[in-house]
Amino acid sequence: MVDNVMEAKHVFKTYGKSGKKKQEDEQFTDKEHIVEAVQDVSLKIKKGDIKLIFGPSGSGKSTFLRCMDMLEIPDKGEIYLGDECLTSKGVDLCKARARIGFVFQHIYLFRHLTAVGNVELALRQVLKLPKEEARKRALDALAEVKVSDCAFRYPSQISGGQAQRVGIARALARNPDIILLDEPTSALDPELTGEVIDTLRDLAKEGATMLIVSHEMPFAREVAEEMIFYDEGKIVETGPPSLFFNAPNTDRARQFMTRIINRTTR
Amino acid sequence: MFEWLFSPMAQSWLIQGVILTVEITLFGVMLGLGLGTLLAVGDIYGKKPLKAAIAVYVEIFRGSPLFIQLFLAAYTVPTVLNIRVDHALMAFLVFGLNSAGYQKGYVKGAIETILGDQMQAGVSVGMSRIQTLRHVILPQAYRIVIPSWTNEFCSLTKSTSALGYLGFMDLTGAGIAIKGSTYEILPVWIVIAAIYFVWITSFAKLMDVVYEKKKIPGVELLMAS
Repeated sequence: MVDNVMEAKHVFKTYGKSGKKKQEDEQFTDKEHIVEAVQDVSLKIKKGDIKLIFGPSGSGKSTFLRCMDMLEIPDKGEIYLGDECLTSKGVDLCKARARIGFVFQHIYLFRHLTAVGNVELALRQVLKLPKEEARKRALDALAEVKVSDCAFRYPSQISGGQAQRVGIARALARNPDIILLDEPTSALDPELTGEVIDTLRDLAKEGATMLIVSHEMPFAREVAEEMIFYDEGKIVETGPPSLFFNAPNTDRARQFMTRIINRTTR
Repeated sequence: MFEWLFSPMAQSWLIQGVILTVEITLFGVMLGLGLGTLLAVGDIYGKKPLKAAIAVYVEIFRGSPLFIQLFLAAYTVPTVLNIRVDHALMAFLVFGLNSAGYQKGYVKGAIETILGDQMQAGVSVGMSRIQTLRHVILPQAYRIVIPSWTNEFCSLTKSTSALGYLGFMDLTGAGIAIKGSTYEILPVWIVIAAIYFVWITSFAKLMDVVYEKKKIPGVELLMAS
């Protein structure tokens, strides 16, 4: 029995610079055109862990997170969900993704459905719950993230902060083994990030397992067991928040922390 | 001038004509939408040979006269293959297949405007691509397609008049028959044109209402920004 909820083993993912995916039959021989977003990244997450990935933009953090959900297929390496290897052939990825919650930076709610419809859809189509039960669970999930008052409104009729909390409810409602969050607050106005952070803090208290890409440092300090500094496609340094807030071991992490802390206090 | 309107014979031709025209246009646009959607999805997700086959299909139906397509399907093909088919059924199929050639383009365009983020979101909650298409992408795409689909309906309805000249009793066929037995020309065509006009306009107005009703609240603002 494996006690890891998720594990990444030596994952690689390369892009052409145009953002074009590398096709099997073509090679990006020209070094200039290669972006090595994920280079030999390994990571373990146990039940109840909260890990936070941070680092410069364009370093490949989001790509790595998307590889964890197999939204991007890694070029090399293995992704495990429990003891199931998602990167081996013939795995039912839909079933696997049903056990993983994913929260997008730009939210990506289903535009033609109300908030409750957004949460309900997977409960009906993936978990095959009967109508009433799906509705009840969807409303419970919305209540948990405190957006019950928006349940019957469409994504374009609610604020960004509310929409992102609906996005979190959509990820939560299936009781996933883990929630992956890709910069959940960075597309929001500063005054709206607070409400999303509060929601995440509540989830943390309830013992949710989360892997978060974020630069919300006060939040990280409060809830993260481990922070992971990611740069140029690699994990540069990992450690508890106290390490990063006091004295990171690597120069790059130290410079980055200085910049980020100055920015938030200025 | 219009006395023939009271003749039972002319009335029965007109009624037959209206029924055939209405049936064939509704059936044609519906089959066209269903098949057009399959072609659009095949063109987006298919491998190269499938895409090439779809392109050939579309160009054949868009690039050749409907009149000739109808003639081939209703008369030449059954003769060559030496089979007995219902000519009307063949005509129904031709209109559906022909309309699919046009509608594939409308549906593909609509799907592509919403595919990126919505497909990712659908897959991320554990749905398959097909489930996401069915429950997320197509409901949004069809809303976008309604105005083009209405145009397709108007255009297709008028194309059905080719049937009259191939011996079918559609509205135009009714006109030809009445003209032959009454020797009235202009008054007959005025009446026939008026019936087409009423049918097309009322259906188009109905679709305008459906379009407004089905609009996703707030989304037109999003698309403009």
